Amino acid sequence: MNLTETLELAVLALYFLGAVLHILAVLIRGPLLRSGGQFATLLGFGLHTVDVGLYMARYGSEALGHGPFYFSLMAWTLIIVSLVLNWRLRMHFLALTSLPLALIVYSFATTLPSMEVILPESFMGLWFGLHIGTLFLSICLLAMAASAGAVYLFLENKIKGKTKITGLSKDLPSLSLFDQVNAWAVNLGFPLFTVGLLSGFLWAHFTWERFFSWDPKEVAAIIVWLLFAFLFHQRLVNGWRGRKPAKLAIWIFALSLISMLGINFFLETHHSFQP
Amino acid sequence: MNQSICLLGLNHRTAPVEVRERYALPNVDPKDQGLISVESGVKEAMILSTCNRVELVTVGREDKDTVREILRFWANCCGGDVHELQDHTYTHRNLDAVTHLFSVASSLDSMVLGEPQILGQLKQAYRNSVKQGASGVILNRLLHKSFSVAKRVRTETKVASNAVSISFAAVELAKRIFGDLANQTAMLVGAGEMAELAATHLLSAGVKRMLIANRTHARGCELASRIQGEAVLFAELFERMAEADIVISSTGATQTVIQRRDVQSIMKRRRNRPMFFIDIAVPRDIDPDVNNLDNIYLYDIDDLKEVVEENLSQRKTEAAKAMVIVQEETEKFACWLRSLGLKPTILDLLAGGERIARKELKKTLRRLGPKADDPDVSQALETLVLSLAHKLYHQPLDFLKRRAQEEDAGTRYIDVTRRMFNLDNELPTPDAHPDRRKPKPSED
Repeated sequence: MNLTETLELAVLALYFLGAVLHILAVLIRGPLLRSGGQFATLLGFGLHTVDVGLYMARYGSEALGHGPFYFSLMAWTLIIVSLVLNWRLRMHFLALTSLPLALIVYSFATTLPSMEVILPESFMGLWFGLHIGTLFLSICLLAMAASAGAVYLFLENKIKGKTKITGLSKDLPSLSLFDQVNAWAVNLGFPLFTVGLLSGFLWAHFTWERFFSWDPKEVAAIIVWLLFAFLFHQRLVNGWRGRKPAKLAIWIFALSLISMLGINFFLETHHSFQP
Repeated sequence: MNQSICLLGLNHRTAPVEVRERYALPNVDPKDQGLISVESGVKEAMILSTCNRVELVTVGREDKDTVREILRFWANCCGGDVHELQDHTYTHRNLDAVTHLFSVASSLDSMVLGEPQILGQLKQAYRNSVKQGASGVILNRLLHKSFSVAKRVRTETKVASNAVSISFAAVELAKRIFGDLANQTAMLVGAGEMAELAATHLLSAGVKRMLIANRTHARGCELASRIQGEAVLFAELFERMAEADIVISSTGATQTVIQRRDVQSIMKRRRNRPMFFIDIAVPRDIDPDVNNLDNIYLYDIDDLKEVVEENLSQRKTEAAKAMVIVQEETEKFACWLRSLGLKPTILDLLAGGERIARKELKKTLRRLGPKADDPDVSQALETLVLSLAHKLYHQPLDFLKRRAQEEDAGTRYIDVTRRMFNLDNELPTPDAHPDRRKPKPSED
């Protein structure tokens, strides 16, 4: 087993351990277990960073066109977004979503057969920074908003319905904190998604000399962007809060997932992951 | 145990409020006022007097009718009738008294199960007893143990968690909605007693700003000055309500005061920032339909009562766990009491042995005559007889100490030992050992 494989295995094991410990911490209300989970996550994230760094060092700008690396980077972004949100909003429960999700995405990275998207050398840096970086960040923020939204709806239902809040529900943060995650995701995520989309169209223009080609991925991205724009507008202009943005965030994230996994794997597209 | 613990009391279950008021014992000194005396046999005493219970805990001689003495003292202090008092009181002796006191301290016997006030009141009662010089070895130990049992119950069970008052339930819900209440504004609509209580709880939970709207503005101002809030004119109610995150309504109005359309327009101005309405008025002040609006949470008095009742039933489940702790701690205390009963027995036994040894030494020295004039000889003999006496008692004492840690055995063996060595100088009863008596010659 070479160093890369060892690193990948260690990252997978640590993310798995982090996820299990976080789930156990919630189930048996153990702060020590949560600390253990956080430690495992941080250690895993550190090794993951080393793994990403080594891959970049080995393949240079070529790495950006490799499918497995794409997923590895997605998982890495997911963890960093969750860590930042946890640090800013003290929402430990986000780890319950981000870790299993990162684990799934990262396992794609380690099991997918290597396929390459051929990219013009001159646009590597720009494409990666503006297109991939921004889209990954905004989708990861959406993932957090979707999970926060799901819990918000569950808790709000209990409070509005005047049903007893028992067991695990008692340990949940307040409704306002869940809404704050949504606000973060929308206020930061939408501009990032817009930049990601624009840079993608720009890149398409330089590569194929057209901005839009009715590619399924492009169509899906436009739909996601429109919904995201609506949510952004409603939050900013009409002061949407609570239920509506929570529900919409879940829908937008679900659509992003369908777009990323369904379209990339099963349809003919510029973004295909089919080897 | 020749010291007996006796607890006599009345509480919300055994006496109505007027009886509790009549037989309250605030500021009564059991030492100054004659409860602690040779005649009564009471050596230590403590009086706990709260609005829901009056209890006297005493330590005294076992052979005295302590209950009668306490009842007489109690009735005298209150100018009441012993028989009436007796009808409403309960009595617990020794370990039952210990269990009861531990339960009281842990708030398992309170009207509101798990309420924390009783422990503070018990601590105050004990402080008074110490100040009055009315507490002694047993009472000191018993009360300190009560406090530690209460602490253990609080930490190991959830008997004191979950709100069991309307106001606390409201505050808990507010925290579920807003999280930290430090940046929230609350508004009282109506300045009733209930609203004031809820406001006090909200303020202690961290709410910084309180608006008070009352039909009688002067009353609103008065309450505002008392709780450091801001009185607003009732005419400006809906205008100012947009500033409030939490609204507590308790007017005496016969119709609803706050309608759905009012709240809808307020929400527009608030840009949908959530609002929590607490309607504690009967009949209700707020249209129930308000709860169907987005980001609005409305709880009326029945909803809050339901929360409280559910929490209370949860506390009852926890109380069973707490009782197990109380029983455990009673056992430990019983162990200590048994050891305490052993100490005087040991001292009496050794003193008796020394008395016999000195008596025999005296006889021996007399028989020795001039030889005993040498101080070294008499000193050596004294050391010999005393250490012999101590050594002879060593094994029985060791046996006693070990038995004293066993349930019931301690008291039984101490009793046997005291009778065996006649430590209480009792004369044998006339019918003792009939088998050893010589048969009287027949008169034929």
